[in-house]
Amino acid sequence: MARAAPSRRRYDPPRRGGVGKIYTSSRVDISFAGPEHRTYRVDLMIDGIDHGGPSYRGFVFLNNPGATEKTPRDLENGYAGVFDIFAHGGCMGDPGHCEVNETKREVYDFRNPNPLTPARKRVTVTETIRELAKRQKTATVTIVPVITAMNSLCETHDVFKCEELSFVAYN
Amino acid sequence: MADNRLRYGAHNLTDPQLKDLRAAYAGQQAISDNRGYQYLAGLHGVPGFWCWHHQGNARTAKHRQLFLPWHRAYLYHFEMGLRDRVGTTSLPWWDWTLRPPRQTGLPDAFAVAKVGGQSNPLASFKINLPNTNPPVIGQTKRQPGAPGDLPTQADVDGALSRGDWIDFGMALEQLHDNVHGWVGGFMGQVPVAAFDPVFWAHHCMIDRIWWLWQVKNGNANIPADLLDVPLAPFNMKVRDVLNVNDLGYDYAAGGAKIAAGGVS
Repeated sequence: MARAAPSRRRYDPPRRGGVGKIYTSSRVDISFAGPEHRTYRVDLMIDGIDHGGPSYRGFVFLNNPGATEKTPRDLENGYAGVFDIFAHGGCMGDPGHCEVNETKREVYDFRNPNPLTPARKRVTVTETIRELAKRQKTATVTIVPVITAMNSLCETHDVFKCEELSFVAYN
Repeated sequence: MADNRLRYGAHNLTDPQLKDLRAAYAGQQAISDNRGYQYLAGLHGVPGFWCWHHQGNARTAKHRQLFLPWHRAYLYHFEMGLRDRVGTTSLPWWDWTLRPPRQTGLPDAFAVAKVGGQSNPLASFKINLPNTNPPVIGQTKRQPGAPGDLPTQADVDGALSRGDWIDFGMALEQLHDNVHGWVGGFMGQVPVAAFDPVFWAHHCMIDRIWWLWQVKNGNANIPADLLDVPLAPFNMKVRDVLNVNDLGYDYAAGGAKIAAGGVS
């Protein structure tokens, strides 16, 4: 039987695409980074990141819920670092191709994980969080996603999506 | 004598080296079967989707760490394909830490659109995948960012300073992701990135940094149960790609042949 023609129009070349919805967390305790602790490194761990949409740079600000892509990236404005997501840019397959069902695998399913199994990123934020912790006990985390590659297959508003964020301090 | 081939910095290629590289790329791009550029580039994303980046899950958590070994096997197969076309060539690495005047963003070898009146095979590739969904047909394009936004030598040193395999791998993959987004266009999206000819030079830099880390740290802290994981679709396991010398290559900044006969 002849293969059915693809249902969608031709792939359009990826391009840069502005800024997605800015994420800000509720206030979280940062006293673990205070000067009384001998913390030498603090990481912001971001787990369960969706990477099926546009590729983007996620600029991280602490205690600056009003941060945007235009906010100076310096200590004074709570800038703490950046992570990059090299993403898929929408589904390039037939229906179901990009559905991730890793938690429903059979015991004897030795096939590779779905390429869209969520990502983990680590941003070292030591200097910024130490400065903040000198004068306050809590802070917010703001992530500004600046899109580096998108096309018509992508949803470009809700760009940064994750399952969990946490600080991990080492001493 | 069977010497290792050397992979040189793209910024240091001599004219004969660059001519060989272009001839090899052009030759491979002209082949439509499984020796050709489109087939090999299509293993990474569309239509093959064999690449390893972020993916991992509770049951196969360590698979997340296949990013470096899988891409080393991938580069090896691509480079051998290039050498089938021109036996003296090797993959160059793009040192994106270089700043003007030494280099402004993309290496010139990969940036110029035309060479001698012909299309530069290192600048773009014409994809022809009419049966994928959606069909992908046309020349690869780029949309580079500002040169100052590329990773710096300090960023590379920061990654190299991390002695733990997982920590190092995450730090290096971050630099990798940054550069994909910096180039933008096709390089900026996983399914089509490998069709851009600069993909291979970028990954060669990643592979080189991993090798620098291995020379310093050895392989002892790579989890033992990762070593026999296959790197499909290649006939290699993780342990097979740990030593680049065993794969027949090494890294150098640059070099040139000297005629043994001399001039006097």
